[in-house]
Amino acid sequence: MEHATSLGDKPPKILIITTIASSYTGANTVGQARAQYAPNTYILRVPDPVMFPEDFYLRCFDKGFAGIIIMSSGSDCPYEGAYGRLSARVGRTYLKMKEKGIPTTRLKLTTVCTVCKHAFLKEIDDMQNHLKEKAA
Amino acid sequence: MSGAMDEAKVGVYVCHCGGNISDVVDVKAVAAELGKHPQVAISKEFAFMCSDAGQKLVIEDIKSGKINRVVVAACSPALHELTFRKALQRADLNPYLYEHVNIREQVSWVHKGDHDAATRKATSLTRAGVEKILRQDRLESIHVGAAKRVLIVGGGPAGLKAALDSAARGLKVTLVEKSGRLGGHLHEFDTVYPGGQSASELLGKLLSAVSANPAITVVLGAEVKTWDGFVGNFKAVLSTGDAVNAGAVIMATGYRHTAPSAGEYRFGKDDRVITLPALIEQMKAAPRGPLTRGGRAVRSVAFIHCVGSRQIEGVHAPQEDGKVNDYCSRVCCTAALHTINALKERQSDLAIYDLYRDIRTYGRGHEAIYEQASKNGVLFFRFTEEAQPEIRESSVVVKDVLTWNQEVELPADLVVLVTGVKPGEVAELTAMMKLPTGSDRFLQEAHPKLRPVEVANNGFFLAGACQAPMDLVESAAAAGAAASKVAAVLSKDFITLDPYVARVDAEKCTGCEACLPECAYTGALFMNGSKKAEVNAALCKGCGACVAVCEPRALDLAGWSLDQMEAMVDAMASEVAP
Amino acid sequence: MKAHTLVIGAGIAGLQAALDLAEQGRQVVLVEKNPSIGGRMISLSKVYPTLDCASCITTPRMASVAHHPLIHTLTYTEVLGVAKNEDGTFRAHLRKKPRYIEEDKCIGCKRCEEVCPVYIRDDFEHQLGAKKAISIPFTNAIPQFPVLEPQSCTWCGACANACPVDCIDFTQESRDLFVEVDAVLLATGFQLTPIDAKAQYGGGKLRNVISSLQGERLLAPHGPYGRVLRPSDGKVPDSIAFVQCAGSRDASLGVPYCSRVCCMYAIKQAMLLSGSLPTADITIYYMDIRAFGKGYEAFYQNAKAMGINFVKAKVGRIREIEDGNLALRIERQEGTAQPEEAQHDLVILSLGLTPQWNPGQLAWEVKTASDGFVATPGAPLDPAATTQDGVFACGTATGPKDIVDSIMEAGNAATEVGKRLEIRAPMVPGGAS
Repeated sequence: MEHATSLGDKPPKILIITTIASSYTGANTVGQARAQYAPNTYILRVPDPVMFPEDFYLRCFDKGFAGIIIMSSGSDCPYEGAYGRLSARVGRTYLKMKEKGIPTTRLKLTTVCTVCKHAFLKEIDDMQNHLKEKAA
Repeated sequence: MSGAMDEAKVGVYVCHCGGNISDVVDVKAVAAELGKHPQVAISKEFAFMCSDAGQKLVIEDIKSGKINRVVVAACSPALHELTFRKALQRADLNPYLYEHVNIREQVSWVHKGDHDAATRKATSLTRAGVEKILRQDRLESIHVGAAKRVLIVGGGPAGLKAALDSAARGLKVTLVEKSGRLGGHLHEFDTVYPGGQSASELLGKLLSAVSANPAITVVLGAEVKTWDGFVGNFKAVLSTGDAVNAGAVIMATGYRHTAPSAGEYRFGKDDRVITLPALIEQMKAAPRGPLTRGGRAVRSVAFIHCVGSRQIEGVHAPQEDGKVNDYCSRVCCTAALHTINALKERQSDLAIYDLYRDIRTYGRGHEAIYEQASKNGVLFFRFTEEAQPEIRESSVVVKDVLTWNQEVELPADLVVLVTGVKPGEVAELTAMMKLPTGSDRFLQEAHPKLRPVEVANNGFFLAGACQAPMDLVESAAAAGAAASKVAAVLSKDFITLDPYVARVDAEKCTGCEACLPECAYTGALFMNGSKKAEVNAALCKGCGACVAVCEPRALDLAGWSLDQMEAMVDAMASEVAP
Repeated sequence: MKAHTLVIGAGIAGLQAALDLAEQGRQVVLVEKNPSIGGRMISLSKVYPTLDCASCITTPRMASVAHHPLIHTLTYTEVLGVAKNEDGTFRAHLRKKPRYIEEDKCIGCKRCEEVCPVYIRDDFEHQLGAKKAISIPFTNAIPQFPVLEPQSCTWCGACANACPVDCIDFTQESRDLFVEVDAVLLATGFQLTPIDAKAQYGGGKLRNVISSLQGERLLAPHGPYGRVLRPSDGKVPDSIAFVQCAGSRDASLGVPYCSRVCCMYAIKQAMLLSGSLPTADITIYYMDIRAFGKGYEAFYQNAKAMGINFVKAKVGRIREIEDGNLALRIERQEGTAQPEEAQHDLVILSLGLTPQWNPGQLAWEVKTASDGFVATPGAPLDPAATTQDGVFACGTATGPKDIVDSIMEAGNAATEVGKRLEIRAPMVPGGAS
């Protein structure tokens, strides 16, 4: 089931889902600081990841993303109750991933704020290392 | 809107940002690659897309009929998304047929070492932008009516000035003050720096103007108890039971003095040690004659600055929330020196020692106060954060940096701790109103440089020290600035809102009601008479929670549809030729 | 021409005030003596404490002003006089200087600039770079029209031949305009104290002693050299000093006050320098570090943590030694009592702020205070009022101030102007009056 991650010599792609209110700005903060990270990362900007059904994530894996990091706004979330709903949704996605034999570690739900430079970089590093280990 | 897809002609513009992007990303290659897309009619690169010339490029291409959708790959959309939406408007194209792709903050600035990979990534992201805009409708802004009333929370000088300024613009004002009287900290002072005006006269002016103004309703001893609504139509119920319907809100919740931590400089243990506000209070209560302490004349006073400000983790005891106040409280240096000069005026033989880290008399007229203190014979000693002054039986010992770290023992009948300021107690209020606060606990402005009195949340504005420490002149300016923004929002008959809300395709809706429990906003999503889901656009916040559970995909978020997101993911996942 | 308000000065304060007023439905005439709007801010490298690129965050404001239907912007235009009429309105006499191009024809294509054979010093780069005698003032200038400098032009005609729209007009003359308004807002800004004011700092003759605004340009992403080089020989400096209070808190210069922004801009420049020249030694000689604003103290502490040297010392004298390097005589105010000499290869003087324009030169009752800035007798509660009813002031016209404080004052001034207009020219419901 790991077929999607083997893309020849290029490192596996990581999808980063960010929120307008927090983590997208956080990613900009990383840029403003000129902190460097691997280019196999693709940032998708949304009002809130709570909009995605479970199947959206499965579809992303299918299309070739090896890992997905959901950088939510956490407690800074401007939308009422959205974080609770999102984590429940991710929980259900994990069940579906298990059913399909996709390691749940390929999907990570975390919180990144507008100035969380280090958190942003660490999440990418962690996913990167994890995917490398898997490949090895 | 149907059929828009097949006629879509996208213009792609890749910005060099004067080398910011083009030094890393091969912008020509990105433009060339995008030019191969069957629905991209024009693909160009340009030195500064945000410049007038760059915008003109887009406008001319639209006007000549070559394109009807625009993608600009440049800096962060936070900077220029609006710039280009407005450019589209000037070219008579729906401003939402625009997609801004970030290839600077999220590509060229973070992948400096790998030009090929950065170029490939920029290409993928720009292609994702094209796919998104191909699936975009002509959205229209939402107009909501506005209640021509502003709710002001806090009745200190900032709140009072904001109330007067708003009323003078034809708005009704409800001014809510937690305590039993208006005026806030202005009551504490005898005179204010730098002009030396009488605080009670200034306050009197504000209070009589407020009480004479029929447009201002003052509610004392009251707090906001419940909160609901949105810009143009906020609904508050106060602890008094009064209901307020306001179009906008000005937060003027002010500051509190910091208290020295237990035992800091023997505060609370040694009755010679008091705070600056306590000294000011004592001087105001007994406005003439020499200073006394415990019935005895005071002949020497030592002031110690930065108590509760510029704190360092590990050196200073943390505040209640476990964090130290690492910020400068801005007002204390000048306030202390202003007080020192007043002391010297009434008791010229008083020995005054000023122990400081940096003297920050930055404002107009402040330096003259510092100079006057020097002329008055005040002796200054500079200490470092590592070697704080020590309070002894009848003296203060300071390692004076100015005299090459000599230990100096200074007699002190009185020790005045120049305490700092922290924000008013607003945790409950900010939680209820969902207002952001910074790590310093002050209310967080929308942009620390450009938008100091605005909040990211629509319809909220900040006046005075609730945002950051500031003196009276600065608070007055902030209050006036907040009133200016309110006047702009409420001067029109309608408030214009972003169109990014949920919408329903009634044909697809099966009436299953799965979406209803997902919506957190009362009245925003409901079943209409024909058993179909319906959205109240003014109440919907556009979180998209309902979208995820709609199996027939009848619900979608305007501007952020699932189709668009999937198409973007596909574009990002697909490989770009090296 | 009639409008509700005349705003004089299109720096960040004037831009913000004009925008606020226009957003309230008021007509504004915004007059700027330079060929572009944007003021000092557009020429800065980055801004503290966010380190946002200054031109990135200024250009959207400039564009919003330029495109606002209620703001009429007049660039390259001087204010010759403002008189108060009996009915309380003001009549302003303006003079539009000749650019020697026809603005309604020009497409900003820069062909004239490309073919012009004459190079002159570039004011926008504070003399660090060169530009053509006919050129668009800088990359992000608004409007994108070139200006021809008649003193340097050899009238060779190359530009006129190259112009695809035939808009060069060598005979253009200045044009006088009159504007009737209900209120006037001064946002006339600041200038730096002269770099040659202090003989002990070389009197402006030392090539590698530069001003803080020159420092900004050196560090700007599209500055004169594209990277940090020192002016005398183009060498990459590896020991750089900032001299604080080089034009402030100094009664001998007539500037006894604190200029409020120098500590922070020096710290910011030092941080940017240490970013672009990681191995360089950077020292800031200071009296007090005044990091008083929101987020400023943390910024200062970050700079210390980055290894920037902060030395509490007075710099007595600067002289040039071999290779254009500089010897600074410093008197430490901590550590040791002995005067000592320190060598650096680039020195940035943190010059102070003085008013850009003295309103006293016009025949009206707008007075300045002893510091030379516009007097604000209404302070503290009404900091925008001047000594003339109907004339308001904001930003650095009323004293040194940083961007955020200027923006706050601009908003407040818009409120005060708006209050006056509410009485003199009430808004008609449903539209502009």
